[in-house]
Amino acid sequence: MKHSKTLTTALCSALAAFCAASAAATETKGPVTDDIGVLVIPKGAPIQIGAYWVVSGADSALGIDEKRGVEIATKDQGGTLVGHPIKLSVEDDGCNAEGGQTAATKLAANPNTAIVLGPACSSAATSGAPILWKAGITDIATATTAPKLTAPDRKPEYDGFMRTVYSDIDQGASDAKYVHDVLKAQKIVTIHDGSPYAQQLATVMDDNFKKLGGTVLSQEAVAPTDVDMHPVLTRIATEKPDVIYAPVFVAAGAQLLRQEKETPSLEKVPLIGSSGQMAPDLIEAAGDAVVGYRITYPDVSPEAMGSGYPKFVDAYKAEYGEAPISGFHANAYDGADLAFKAIEKVAKTDASGSTYIGRKALRDAVLTIKFDGVSGPIACDEHGQCAKFKPAVYEFTNGDPKTFKIGVNPKKIWP
Amino acid sequence: MTDIARGRTLVPRLRSLSRFTFVDVVLWALRIGVLVVVVGGSVGTLIKGRYGAVQWFEFLTFGVTMGSVYALVALGYTMVYGVLRLINFAHGDIMMTGAFSGYFVATAFAGSGFLDRDPVLAMLAIMAVAVTTSTTIALLTERLAYRPFRHVRGLAPLICAIGVSFFLEQTFRGAFGAGVRAYPDPKWQKGTISVFGSSVPILQIVVVAAALISMAILYVIVQRTKMGTAMRAVSEDADAAALMGIDVDRVVVFTFALGGAMAGIAGVCYGFIFKQVYFYMGFTPGIKAFGAAVLGGIGSVPGAMLGGLFLGIVESVGPALFLDGIGIPAPYQLRDLIAFTLLIMVLIFRPYGILGERMAKKRT
Repeated sequence: MKHSKTLTTALCSALAAFCAASAAATETKGPVTDDIGVLVIPKGAPIQIGAYWVVSGADSALGIDEKRGVEIATKDQGGTLVGHPIKLSVEDDGCNAEGGQTAATKLAANPNTAIVLGPACSSAATSGAPILWKAGITDIATATTAPKLTAPDRKPEYDGFMRTVYSDIDQGASDAKYVHDVLKAQKIVTIHDGSPYAQQLATVMDDNFKKLGGTVLSQEAVAPTDVDMHPVLTRIATEKPDVIYAPVFVAAGAQLLRQEKETPSLEKVPLIGSSGQMAPDLIEAAGDAVVGYRITYPDVSPEAMGSGYPKFVDAYKAEYGEAPISGFHANAYDGADLAFKAIEKVAKTDASGSTYIGRKALRDAVLTIKFDGVSGPIACDEHGQCAKFKPAVYEFTNGDPKTFKIGVNPKKIWP
Repeated sequence: MTDIARGRTLVPRLRSLSRFTFVDVVLWALRIGVLVVVVGGSVGTLIKGRYGAVQWFEFLTFGVTMGSVYALVALGYTMVYGVLRLINFAHGDIMMTGAFSGYFVATAFAGSGFLDRDPVLAMLAIMAVAVTTSTTIALLTERLAYRPFRHVRGLAPLICAIGVSFFLEQTFRGAFGAGVRAYPDPKWQKGTISVFGSSVPILQIVVVAAALISMAILYVIVQRTKMGTAMRAVSEDADAAALMGIDVDRVVVFTFALGGAMAGIAGVCYGFIFKQVYFYMGFTPGIKAFGAAVLGGIGSVPGAMLGGLFLGIVESVGPALFLDGIGIPAPYQLRDLIAFTLLIMVLIFRPYGILGERMAKKRT
């Protein structure tokens, strides 16, 4: 009993110290005064860029692809920024809320983190971004698309969150249009996995589909780690939908795909996936069931991208010996570019060669910078939404994972 | 509380009402709440009539399939607990090692066409490799990780088991990558057989048959052989067994070997049902199977079999039967909730499990 009391006291005092340390206050260091804090980088020390993506597990292609985009951006930058070498430290967030929290806490605990890139998953951003912003660190996400993250009514703790990727509010609308107008579906069922990305996308889809005059029979849910989809599919079979829309991630998506074909009376019902599933691992996990499978995705064909895209892809292939393994490398490149441009804009160097960066000023600078990125035009609105959605639908054509190449397998079939 | 449950007459019961504590009230509320959900939900679902006999049959067969895999894994938990009083948290990952080694053989066989040409022989070979791997790894963990802790009191052995679990996961991740790999999908597995007017996939029948045969063999070993008798003796009282001349170390090794073999078979079955293998795949079925072992009464071999089957069926039928009727949207998201609520109910109201009573009584 006594033991636990001591522990509680220790915990309380540690908490108090933590709160005192992270309380925002105007700070002046060298030539810079900033509302929430100033980062000082001594002469010769590296400028530390943090990052968190999913780099392990079934969804790792998503994160590794983005990491590569940032690495190429760093290389194009010459490896140095405002006179300091760039040091990128990447944390794994596992594409879930717990991982995002751990990774963000680790990055925020490093007082020298200048800015953070990533994550790829909305669940990780939902828990991670507030932790970073509490430490005064701006977060530029590279593939997280959940609408609420940059909604006008987002909470103040998300003020430091921006993204160089579209919002699903646009993707959901375009997906509804595709399913209703092109597939001529009248009755659909949607399945999400409880993650902010899937749940919000499914909801946006439902709303838009109803607006177009269609019927949403039910919104089902599975867990991202579920392997047994038979019961939920059996239930859906009793509702007789025209189309099943399931914007889940790779592992659950592959299970749905396999097991849907084994469910009586669902064999012929098209299953439509979404942007969480563009990865060779989907083919590996689903096998031949993947042939004919369609996913909605941003248009990443070279024509739809920025003018610098072909050159970027050449650099990617030269560096890693393969074509891009997922679709958000260009967004990541632009995210890094945006971060570099913002740092260049606000960093001040004094006579001794030390560099000073105001944290609030850096966040504000990110919002004002506009440029033509490799993924398209980058220009943030006041809520941190910096890119637009270009809709497309891709169809898988081959069950061999080695044939995975965006544009070939799966190939673009719409628009 | 147990006094009340033992069913006395009404008067002493009312008299003991004054001794009712807050905890009792909560527990009774919990019982009634669960009962209302189960009964109300079932009635609601049946009245709605969304599901026909075909669907219920499908839920049930899949529940049995899943349940037999849980049962195989649960046997490993329960036997090791019986002999060592150790919860071997790495057991789910031992299943994973079996599934992984089976995967390599299965893809090789599928590539050469052997799996399609000679299914019985191929399946036996795949299982043999998986059983060998998982048994070897189970024996190695016993020798290297658990035996040094054999006579350590407290939580150290349990923490060690969790450590072994992480070690196995991360070793496989390091060796084979973090991505998902898929078991082959031979044509014969896609076929169906008509049972009672509805079709059941051949794969499910194969899995259930494999599980039942291995459980029968295990049961005979435990009940009829000298080694099995020694195992039961050690699980009753290890010290007395040692005094009677039983080599406890040998019995422990034998127990781990049996558990590992069952896990290997379960791994291959799981791999063929769900097709996906990756380094973390053992965790969830491991926890569920542990739940099944507790449900049946940890330490009891028939209890583990029964607990596994029961858990599999409840998990499969439960969301539709209990939750659909009370109008909960997307009931399948709550499947794990049903499984773990069941486990918690057992822990609260019958801590010794369905078949665990006799053993629990004897030990106290």
